[in-house]
Amino acid sequence: MSPQRDRDRDAFRAGVRRLFKLPLFTRAAARADADAELDAFLAERIDRLVLSGLTPADARAEALRRLGSPEGDARLVLRRSAQRRQRHQWLRQAAADLREDLRIAVRRFAHSPAFTATALLTLAFGIGANTAIFSAVHGLLLAPLAFPNGNRIVMPMQENDRYRGDSRFERRNMAGALIEAWQQRTHTVEDIAAASEDMFSLDADGTIDTLTSAVVTVNFLPMLGVEPLVGRGFSPGDVVRHGPPNVAVISEALWRQSYAGRSDIVGRTVTLDGRPLAIIGVAPAGLNIPLSHKTPPDMWVPGALTDAVDGGTGSLDISPSVFALLRPGVSVDVASRELESIAAGVPHAAGLGGRLRVMRAQDFVNAGETRALEVLFAAVGALLLTACATVANLLLARAWTRQREFAIRGALGAGRRRLARQVLTESMSLALAGGLLGIGVAGLTLRVIVALRPPGLDRLADVHIEPAVLLWTLVVSVLTGLSFGCAPAFFAGLHPVGDVLRREMRGGSAGVISRRVRSTLVVLQIAASLALLVASGLLVRSFAALQRMPLGFEPRGLLYADVLIAGTREQRGTIRDEIIRHLQSLRDVTGVSIGVMPGKGWLGGGVEAEIDPEGHTADVPALGTIMMSPGYLRVARIPLLAGRLPDSTSFSSLGPAGWSSEVLVNRALARRLWPAGRAIGAHLREKPFPGRPPAPWSTVVGVTSDTRIPGESGDVAAYQVYTIDRLVSEVPFVVRTTMSGDDAAPIVKRAITAVDPHIFARPILSGDTYLRDGLAPTRFAMSLLTAFGVVALALAAIGLSGVIAYSVSQRTREIGIRLALGADPSRVVRHVVSGGLGLVALGIALGAAAALAATRALSSMLYGVGAADPPTFVAIALLVGAIALVASYVPARRALRIDPAETLRAD
Amino acid sequence: MALLKGTLDVLVLKTLSWGPMHGVEITTWLESRSDGKIDVTDAALLQALHRLEERELIAAEWAITDHGRRARYYRLTSAGRARLRAESTALIDHVKTLTAILTARSAET
Repeated sequence: MSPQRDRDRDAFRAGVRRLFKLPLFTRAAARADADAELDAFLAERIDRLVLSGLTPADARAEALRRLGSPEGDARLVLRRSAQRRQRHQWLRQAAADLREDLRIAVRRFAHSPAFTATALLTLAFGIGANTAIFSAVHGLLLAPLAFPNGNRIVMPMQENDRYRGDSRFERRNMAGALIEAWQQRTHTVEDIAAASEDMFSLDADGTIDTLTSAVVTVNFLPMLGVEPLVGRGFSPGDVVRHGPPNVAVISEALWRQSYAGRSDIVGRTVTLDGRPLAIIGVAPAGLNIPLSHKTPPDMWVPGALTDAVDGGTGSLDISPSVFALLRPGVSVDVASRELESIAAGVPHAAGLGGRLRVMRAQDFVNAGETRALEVLFAAVGALLLTACATVANLLLARAWTRQREFAIRGALGAGRRRLARQVLTESMSLALAGGLLGIGVAGLTLRVIVALRPPGLDRLADVHIEPAVLLWTLVVSVLTGLSFGCAPAFFAGLHPVGDVLRREMRGGSAGVISRRVRSTLVVLQIAASLALLVASGLLVRSFAALQRMPLGFEPRGLLYADVLIAGTREQRGTIRDEIIRHLQSLRDVTGVSIGVMPGKGWLGGGVEAEIDPEGHTADVPALGTIMMSPGYLRVARIPLLAGRLPDSTSFSSLGPAGWSSEVLVNRALARRLWPAGRAIGAHLREKPFPGRPPAPWSTVVGVTSDTRIPGESGDVAAYQVYTIDRLVSEVPFVVRTTMSGDDAAPIVKRAITAVDPHIFARPILSGDTYLRDGLAPTRFAMSLLTAFGVVALALAAIGLSGVIAYSVSQRTREIGIRLALGADPSRVVRHVVSGGLGLVALGIALGAAAALAATRALSSMLYGVGAADPPTFVAIALLVGAIALVASYVPARRALRIDPAETLRAD
Repeated sequence: MALLKGTLDVLVLKTLSWGPMHGVEITTWLESRSDGKIDVTDAALLQALHRLEERELIAAEWAITDHGRRARYYRLTSAGRARLRAESTALIDHVKTLTAILTARSAET
């Protein structure tokens, strides 16, 4: 297109705009305006020069001379200044419009305080709950590793051949030789560190406490990008080969709790399992790896990287986790391929077998108990939806009454765009104010969530409303404002002036579209609240089922203590017997045995069994092994279903490896291996380790009931072998008391440590606590979902009753006529209510369908109830229906108060 | 005569204080008032008008001239009037001071 035509087009557009007195909206228009001005200026100049006697040609030359610069240059400069002026004016205008709109909005809200308060509260709850849950999701799922290199940390893991095909039992064990090979040859990874975890009893200034501690390689902290808050990190000189560590870095939390954040912390000595350690530094908060425990470590001690497979020669020999720092820009896949190819060249690693897998540390954290959060996130989404629908409904009701105002303003020249913007400004300011209040609500909600948190989500205590979360709140508020503001904005511009005013005159029933939209919103609300309540109903039933769950033993009053005993084998045996005697002498103790808490077990290797007289064998890849003394079943109250107890001397015949020659199995294992019921007398043994001689066979002499703890993964407890214990250095005790576990724990702990000063009892865990903790995730999700569901239902009820009230007010005349003609008032009410019931039925049907689709995601959190549990669905549908009936009956009764004479006179 | 920096704006404001004018009228008025001594190029004048309009000291509107042509007419806004008062007072003071200094007779003459 030629410049001339370009200019003509611009000039034409500008002309059209001028014709309609529109401001110069676009840059092109500003440019055309500048051109027109220059052209007009030159023409005027030439006219005047010609009048003064010059020839037109001379006049033109003179005019251009006076311009002072070449015409083209002058034109460009003027265009630019005109465009700048246009931009400036546009911004100024927009700001002025916004101010004006806001002024109108505030005035209008102040005029109807009831509406404003309802809308604000609704939004505050919707947005606040959303913000609170997003805080948790953000803290736990999106940014769980809150230290500098957190997002570049990966964890190489090796599947263990012994558990091949059973992904639940992937181990993180890694050969030290392999780690060293990686350190030497890798190009994709900046650094590799290893860490293993344990629990210790800490004696800090006389108070004995238990804490989670991690043995880490010296490069661990620098690799994560963590600088100590106080003191220093580890140096190679801190590592003690073949001995316990003698320095430690403690967590910020431990520093604050046990040492009140004292600045002279460095150099103080703590006693860890009886060994003195010097504190050399304090790690900053947020350092939550290694990750295998649910709580972050309290203390890190240095250790050498040793060969885990060979049995270990140093401290890092208990299932170390390997952490690698990716070079910037390297993807997990690339690093994974490289590490794999290096591993292929390390003979020792090949011996361990199994496929290598590299996982982002962040995903590893998230692999845990995060289902509850995902469900809650979906739930607050549904809650926000109902909140939006409620406010949209309120706004629509107002928009309808304001139609006259809009029509008149439209007639007076306000454009549809202008009116729609006014309405949107109102919605937006409402949403943003609601969001602001929502931050307060979120703070409170978060406190409730933290108070209710299940033990698996202990990290929730560290969750705060952070800037990223506030950004989320802002986005949610804006989207909310848009979503509930659009409908009224649409209606604001929809109706031609004449229509509205004419309709007013006639006073007829109007607003078919608006009523439809409002009805749709109510249906949505009912559906969303039904879905929420169904989910919470399922959890309530699960909770009840969990409480009634057959446990196979009696956890209440049962304590579990893991005790470390020092000394020679004989000394340890003596101390062990002494502890048992001492515990038995306690007044409230009715039984003591060696063994772990039932349902916990120690997840061991697989089992191989002879399954028939012909010598066929079968195997089970992994099972729990409980080392016990003969009194164990009595103390734990595990019923022996068949057979007899093993002979306590049956282990001595076997030597150091393998189980006792007589063992018990639980019913599940018996049924799996010997479905025909010939478990007793059958033989089984530990599945052979590759490259080692097989263990001797043991004979099954009895079958126990299955044991379970609610909430515990069933993997450990599903299949159990009970074998006579021969451990002497680290001994698990179960103690039966007549008190509650919580009360008895300190007494038992004192009793154990009183036997000998070199005994270190790990924390005493009570069955009562296990029971409570096992129920906690369900109770957590159940409480929050129920709260959200109730709020959603209340909002739905408000919405429904608004719609019914509106329909009554619209049909005042009709009802008046009916009553005047002698209609039975109760029939009139029924008629009005039945209009609402259609919506309710539709909402319930939709909600049930949504719930069916959604609760499947919940199924891993359910126990003893299906995701499509008919009684729950029916009960909740009835509940929602009943509430809806009340919500529509109350406004419908207003129809009875209509005075027929009054309504007919009104026109 | 070249203008002192920044004085064109105030001269334009002063010109418009007589009433709305279009570009050619403004420059003609300035020329006649200064007996042709003030020499402003038309391009500079138009730019100054845009600048003042952007600052909302003057406002513009298209209208028809006496000769039947369309022209962009400028008028003073209230902000422009206030600015004119302030600027012209300051400028007059300034010029007086300069005049006093430059016309003072030195001691030896």
